[in-house]
Amino acid sequence: MADIFLKTEYLDRLIGSVRQAGGRFIAPCTDARQTVFKEAHAAKDVVADYILAHNSYKEFLFPQTEVISTHKVKKDSVELKGIECAAQGTVIFGARPCEAASLSALRAVFTWDSIDEFYTKREDNTVVIAVACTRGDDACFCTTVGLSPDSTAGVDVMFKEAEHGWAVMPLTGKGRAFVEKHKDVFEKAAPAVKPLFYPEKIKGVDIEKIKERLSKKEHYEDPVWPELARKCIGCGACTFTCPTCHCFDIIDEGTAYEGERRKNWDACQFDHFTLHASGHNPRDTQYKRWRNRFMCKFKFYPDKFSSKGCVGCGRCIRVCPVRLDITEVMEEMSLRP
Amino acid sequence: MERLGAAQDNMENVLRKKAKDLLSSGEVKVVIGYGFNRRGTHITPVFITKPEDADKLVFNPRCVNNLSVYLTRKFKDIRAIGRPAIVAKGCDIKNVVVLIAEAQLKREDVYIIGMACSGIVYRQELWKGELKPEIMPTKCANCDVRYPHLYDCVLGDKPAFVPPDKPVGMVFDKIAALDEMDSAGRWAFWIKEFSRCIKCYACRQVCSLCYCERCITEKNMPQWIETSAHPRGNLSWNLTRAMHLAGRCTFCGECERSCPVNIPLNLVNKKLIQVTEESFGFRSGYDEKAHPPMIVFSPDDKENFIK
Repeated sequence: MADIFLKTEYLDRLIGSVRQAGGRFIAPCTDARQTVFKEAHAAKDVVADYILAHNSYKEFLFPQTEVISTHKVKKDSVELKGIECAAQGTVIFGARPCEAASLSALRAVFTWDSIDEFYTKREDNTVVIAVACTRGDDACFCTTVGLSPDSTAGVDVMFKEAEHGWAVMPLTGKGRAFVEKHKDVFEKAAPAVKPLFYPEKIKGVDIEKIKERLSKKEHYEDPVWPELARKCIGCGACTFTCPTCHCFDIIDEGTAYEGERRKNWDACQFDHFTLHASGHNPRDTQYKRWRNRFMCKFKFYPDKFSSKGCVGCGRCIRVCPVRLDITEVMEEMSLRP
Repeated sequence: MERLGAAQDNMENVLRKKAKDLLSSGEVKVVIGYGFNRRGTHITPVFITKPEDADKLVFNPRCVNNLSVYLTRKFKDIRAIGRPAIVAKGCDIKNVVVLIAEAQLKREDVYIIGMACSGIVYRQELWKGELKPEIMPTKCANCDVRYPHLYDCVLGDKPAFVPPDKPVGMVFDKIAALDEMDSAGRWAFWIKEFSRCIKCYACRQVCSLCYCERCITEKNMPQWIETSAHPRGNLSWNLTRAMHLAGRCTFCGECERSCPVNIPLNLVNKKLIQVTEESFGFRSGYDEKAHPPMIVFSPDDKENFIK
C-alpha cells in the first residue's frame, strides 16, 4: 500500500474505528488549560495546534500507580494474588518523533534482567502514530541528540501534515497491520506535505565528548557539578514528564490484614530516593542527584543498553520551576577542557 | 537600612553595583538573584559569588521565582558558601519574614536587597514584551508591598500603585464562586482538580515554607500519607500540605506556577489565608516578630468552631 492519505475529517472515523474494536485512542487533548495526552473520544477532543503534549505518553504504558498484587491475611494462611495485566489495545496519536524514540529505552530497562509484563504487554498492544513536527520552540533539541522531526525510531506509523489531512507512512509490521485493519478510513493520494521544523543543533554540544568525559573518574568530583545544579530544587517534574525516565517504587498499602502492592513512579531527584535503611545516603545533596540523572541519560543508558537516554523533547526544560536547562549542562560538559 | 532610589530602567545598574560592593567588601559571600539563561530566552535563578559576575544580575517583570527557598536549610550547599544576599520583591520578602519568625533564619544571617516592583508575569511564557494586567497574577493586583517592607537596602523609586480596598482578581472571583457551591459541589471540584496530581512534589520543593527536611509524606512507619497518585493519595497529600501552610502561606503563588498539571493551588492557599485573617486577625509575612496563630494559644481565640 503506497501513497496513503487520511483526510482531516476522517480522523473522527479512525477514532471511532479504534474504539469500536475495543481500543483506546490517546491523543493530545486540552485538560486544565494545557495540551496533554489523554483518551480522546472523538476528533473534536484532539488538539491540532500544539508543539508537544505537556505530559509524556509513557503513562499509558507505565502508569503512575498500578496494583501488582493483593494480599489478605487469614487465620492460618496468607492469600497472595498476582494481578494479570490486562493490556488494552492502545493507539497513541500525535506523538512526536523525539518521544517515540524513548520506547526502546523503556523496553530495554523493563526487559533487562527479568521481563516486566506490566510494561511489555502494554507496549506490545500499542501502536504509536507520530506526527512529524511542523513547529517547535526554543526548548526543542532533538537534532542535538541525533534525532530529527522525521526520525522513525519507535514509530509504527508516521503521519506528515498536508493540506486537509496527513500523508500516512506505516513503518513497522504493527503499523502496517493497523493501517490494514482500519483501511476504510484511508485513501490513496500523495499530497504535498508541509515543511518540517528542524530545531537548530546546539553548536557547543558533542554527545560523544560528553560520554567520554563522564567515563573519566575525575569528572565525578568536578567542582562544576555543585555550581551547575545549585538552583535545582529537587522536585520530580523533570523525571515525571520525561519520556525515558522510568524509575519506580514498590509500596504496600492497606491495613495489617489486607492490602495491595503498588508500583508507583519514583524520581532520582527526591532526597529519599537513595536513602538506605542504615540512614546513609550515597546521594546526600541535590547536585549528586542531578549528576546521577545526567549520567543516567548520557552514560549509563548508552553504555548498558546502547540506547538513547535523552531524546531531546525538552519537556524537562519547559516544566522546570527554576528553568534548569539540561542543554546548558550538555554544553558545559562538552566544552570543558 | 539604605534606600537607593532609581528609575525602573536604571534599577539593574544600581543592583549590580550594590552586589559588587557587597561581594568585594566580603559582607556577603553569595548574591542570590535573577539572570538570563544561556540562550537569553528565560529568567532563571543565579548565584553570584565573584564581584565580576555581578553584571549577570537582572531585574524585570519576568523575575517570577521566589528565591527565598534558597535560604532554607534544605539547601546545605548554598548555606556552606557563607552569608547570602537575596534579591527579593516585596512578596518574596514576606517569606523571608516567615522564615525569621519561625526561627529558620536569623535576621542578621541574610542581607535583603529589596526591589521596588511594578508587578510580574504569571508565567514567563506569557511575556510578549509588555506587562499587562491580564498576564499578571492576582497577588500583583492587590500588592501592598510593591515597595518592600523589610530590607537592608531597597532599590528603586516608590511605585505610585495603591492596592484596591476590596481585593480583585481571578483567584478571588473563583473563591467566591466556590463559596457559593454546596459542600458536595466543592468536594467534586477538588477531587477532580487533585486527581491530576502526579506527586512530583514541585509544589513542596519550590515553597520556602515547606522547609521540613523530612516531609510527612516521607514518613513511612507508619505511612501517614499514601504516596500513590490515586485519588485518595492525592487528596490526602494536597489537603495535608494546605493545612500545614494555614496561617503561614503568604500567597506568593510559586506552588501553582510550578505545578506541571495546573492544579489551582492558589485557591486553596488564599482561602486559608482568608480564614486565618477572619479568625485570628493575622496576616502572614508582615512582622518577623509575630508568631503564626497555629503555634500560639491566646485566651482571645475564637471558639465558634466548637459546635
